Amino acid sequence: MSCAEDINLLAVVVDTNPAAWAAAASDPDRPLDFVKIIEQLLIFINAHLSLKFDNELAIIASHADQSQFLYPLPPADPLDAADDEPSKPANVYKQFFDVDRAVVSKLKELVDDKRTKSAEHENRSMVAGSLALALSYINRIKRANENNSVQSRILILSISPDLPSQYIPTMNCIFAAQKVSTRIDVCRFSGRKYGGESVFLPQASHITAGIYLDIPEPSNLLQYLLYTFLPEPSMRKTLLLPHKDQVDFRAACFCHKNVVDVGYVCSVCLSIFCSLSKKCPTCQTVFPAPK
Amino acid sequence: MATASKPAAKVATNGATKKAAPPIDDEDSHGLMGASGQGYSWEEEYKRSWDVLQEDEQGSLVGAVNSIQMQMKRRRLNKDTKVVQRGIIRHLYLVIDLSRAMAELDLKPSRVECTLALAEQFVAEYFDQNPLSQLGVIITRDALAEKLTELSGNPTDHVDVIRKKANREPRGEPSLQNALDLARTSLAHVPAHASREILVLYASLTTCDPDNIIDTIDALRRNEIRVSVVGLSAEVQVCKTICKETKGTYRVVMNEGHFKELLFENIPPPPIAMAQNMSNLIKMGFPITRNFDPPTLCACHHKPIRKGYACPGCSSTICDIPTDCPVCALTLVSSPLLARSYHHLFPVDNYKEVIPGPPLPDVLATTATPLAGHCFACLQAFAPKAGASNAALVGLRSARYECGRCMNSFCWDCDVYVHEVLHSCPGCVNR
Ligand SMILES: [Zn+2]
Ligand SMILES: [Zn+2]
Ligand SMILES: [Zn+2]
Ligand SMILES: [Zn+2]
Ligand SMILES: [Zn+2]
Ligand SMILES: [Zn+2]
Repeated sequence: MSCAEDINLLAVVVDTNPAAWAAAASDPDRPLDFVKIIEQLLIFINAHLSLKFDNELAIIASHADQSQFLYPLPPADPLDAADDEPSKPANVYKQFFDVDRAVVSKLKELVDDKRTKSAEHENRSMVAGSLALALSYINRIKRANENNSVQSRILILSISPDLPSQYIPTMNCIFAAQKVSTRIDVCRFSGRKYGGESVFLPQASHITAGIYLDIPEPSNLLQYLLYTFLPEPSMRKTLLLPHKDQVDFRAACFCHKNVVDVGYVCSVCLSIFCSLSKKCPTCQTVFPAPK
Repeated sequence: MATASKPAAKVATNGATKKAAPPIDDEDSHGLMGASGQGYSWEEEYKRSWDVLQEDEQGSLVGAVNSIQMQMKRRRLNKDTKVVQRGIIRHLYLVIDLSRAMAELDLKPSRVECTLALAEQFVAEYFDQNPLSQLGVIITRDALAEKLTELSGNPTDHVDVIRKKANREPRGEPSLQNALDLARTSLAHVPAHASREILVLYASLTTCDPDNIIDTIDALRRNEIRVSVVGLSAEVQVCKTICKETKGTYRVVMNEGHFKELLFENIPPPPIAMAQNMSNLIKMGFPITRNFDPPTLCACHHKPIRKGYACPGCSSTICDIPTDCPVCALTLVSSPLLARSYHHLFPVDNYKEVIPGPPLPDVLATTATPLAGHCFACLQAFAPKAGASNAALVGLRSARYECGRCMNSFCWDCDVYVHEVLHSCPGCVNR
């Protein structure tokens, strides 16, 4: 009913981890072309913008060692005042043009940046950092439009493996998103040499009532994006959308990283262990001897 | 608030009124006069809120109001970020006074309505922040105490009884002792690794007790139960003593907003004393989700369910977690539930305010390059550096806050957001 006046804010997090994309490009079964993926993503983003004139957008690159806003650009970014600014073709919608240009040039910057640095950063992606930026930006848009309701959601295009050190920040972001009912949709690529099972991201979409989709055929990405992720949250209950049946909420013990059914939890720091011990390795608490 | 605004008031009055007034030493000639020299000192509190408000050149108050709001936010923010041991697994009884004193109308719409509305919010927020904890509700009226809910981890149970009409009618005298004793005996069986607490919302100035309440205090102390009281009318000696003896807090509300603030101070888990080592390893089960195509009955409520969890200890079907398995008594949780508490254990350090030096434009001109012109997290541009021309901005704080670990700058909205909601520094997690 009120969705006509809602502002629709979409925050896209693109995994740009170079190592994973390089591996994906050379995958024997399902080669992935980064440029093609970005092209399809841009079409999807333009579709989002064209749905309504005041639809809001943020795009964040989750790189191997940092997260970068691709759109909107920070204020006073040199790109805004670039001299070699290509003039906008007359028959192109201004906002499409701005977004495409910002994304492409920023991505180039990122990739070039990477070449200068050595390959010290391995196969990883700052998904938690990008989520934190996306949520802060969503919070800002929500504050700026206190009188209107803002419907926000996050779409993650993910290809990198989970980063165990980012477990706590990732969970914190998920809970922050849940608090303002921001759905986290996940679009996951996996092949023989890349991707693989993620543990964090299915939890993200499960807790925030988002959609988790393992892309079965990456060359048809655009179709999945348009049919699954474009409809705004208020329309979703009327659509038959894919869902993940089983979410693994089991925990891995801190000592061996084994998944456990029954574990022992330190009452002070909530670390999980697979067996009883006298002292907590995480917080050094000494436990009284069992009676 | 009062202490924070004091210097500002002085500066304002010195500039505005000292010139006109004859140079008499206020302090000597009128001992009772306040700092402004225009009234008695006990009137200062009321004057100050006006003095602080200075119009800017355009005659607007927006800047001044913003800076006051900002000060209030900062005050709430600058909490303790030391890593302390906290009793993450809590057992708390919420005791609500439902005596005649609750019918007073000094809080809007009435004490009882205000209290019960806040109690509902408290329950929801308590379980959000303390997912492994339990809570129970006790009311006291007609000199009796009545337990509305047993300790449980399900927020809807408690909210339901608070909403029930029969439980919203204040009458008779309260009995503090009966309520405390009831809560104490109910907390007696709680395992040693969990903290035991009682939170009393008390409106009355009297209590109708069957026995000597000092004995109750001794018993509470013996059982290591922490009692905190939020008073609704005025300070009462017996409440003060109880809280002091049991290491709880005793505060009295001033208005509705203050009430909420005081009540919500009880939501973060309290630090536990190092001396009383109640820590332990707790055996917990992590059940897997299961879908049932013909619906099946859950072991806990005997209701048909399509989605549920299977207890890893005994394979019973449970409809929701966290809970204790009704068959084998194993505590059932999930890894996200545990993760929900981690931010209490690993808080984000407070950001430092970046204060531009007095010769504002010059300093920034030389060091302009390293300081980004926008917030790291939300891209909000910082207030223009040439804000000196704007009178409101001079009194305004710099609105730039820096993380001591990643050295990124944040706007104050993000500062509040990071510390109150996100619990991870957007700069630090990107490294
Ligand atoms: Zn282990
Ligand atoms: Zn521990
Ligand atoms: Zn049940
Ligand atoms: Zn069981
Ligand atoms: Zn910001
Ligand atoms: Zn930081």
